Amino acid sequence: MAFRDRLVATIRAARPIVELPEILIVGSEVPNLLQPGMAATMVVSLDLDIGVPVHRHAAVKERIGELVEFAPSADEPSVWTPRSPHLLEVNFVGMDPDQDPADAYVLEDDRLPLLVFGALSLVGPGPAIDVEGVTVRLPQLAGLLLEKLVTDRTGEKGDRDLLVALGLLAAASPSDLDELDAMYRRLRPELRHAVRSNLTLLSLLEPRAGMPDPRPRRADVAALFRQFNTGEREGS
Amino acid sequence: MRPSLEYRLRQHRRRMVVRSWEYRQRRHAHGVWFRLRSVLANARAAYVISGADARTLLAEAHRMETVGRELDPPKLIIVAPSDRIARIASARPVAVRLSAEVLAAECLALTPFAEDRPLLKPGSQSTPAGSPSTR
Repeated sequence: MAFRDRLVATIRAARPIVELPEILIVGSEVPNLLQPGMAATMVVSLDLDIGVPVHRHAAVKERIGELVEFAPSADEPSVWTPRSPHLLEVNFVGMDPDQDPADAYVLEDDRLPLLVFGALSLVGPGPAIDVEGVTVRLPQLAGLLLEKLVTDRTGEKGDRDLLVALGLLAAASPSDLDELDAMYRRLRPELRHAVRSNLTLLSLLEPRAGMPDPRPRRADVAALFRQFNTGEREGS
Repeated sequence: MRPSLEYRLRQHRRRMVVRSWEYRQRRHAHGVWFRLRSVLANARAAYVISGADARTLLAEAHRMETVGRELDPPKLIIVAPSDRIARIASARPVAVRLSAEVLAAECLALTPFAEDRPLLKPGSQSTPAGSPSTR
């Protein structure tokens, strides 16, 4: 079964949750969904990240029993594993707009505890899209791109996450980039440095199978890096 | 708290501590890696060149990137236009990344990206016809 079909089937199976107001699809599947025809050609982890604003936790919990094609993982309570091999895992992550982007905390709950990552506080709601009959809400591109760039990245997973950021950059419109720049300027200096540091890593990555080739986009990455450097004190 | 979530939270906070340390190091010796990556990120292409050719470029007042002097052994890293580097017999192109080749080179010549290049060139945006409909 093609990855795209698994992704679409997972979204359909998660319909009771993903169609709830304010619930977002976040993470590395977003650029896959943004590809022409939702082609989903980027090889990323086999899961669907669902962003749950903490004030919507109760509403999600109320409907979690309707996820009949998934079962909660015994090891990782924020993960729901599929009963069918044709579906992906569903991974719930908390979002708290008031949180510091570098912090994280656990929203305790017996049934659906959530790890709330501060970087997701940068992510706001974007367009709703139709995924073969299911309406899902994606994040606004600038916030998700900034979240990808501000998060600490290490190892193979980190490199792939940066290439996901490249996929988002490739899909960005001029107004997305204006918004990205404005959001970047509001970060504190340490986080701005983290963004620039990740851009340098992205610029120097080797190509990886199933991911956007970073080499033809190096000029875009360099231009964004220069733009972000503008106004920064040397060495900041 | 569930052990798995507690573990992930602890790991996240450890990474943030390391990142804060790296930020504080940014003007010190450890920060050289960010500075070196920054120089390479701004380079369209990189070439290993001979010491004699590097000195010639310096004599012609092409810009030397001081980050090369912060490494041991030191490197001469010089930025020059591509048409000038095309006339250097010793120039051997290398991939622009922190590879063993780049790190072992005593002298590197870099060609810069055009600094006035807009972030998005017309037609470079890949959001396409046939992408999911937005509401």
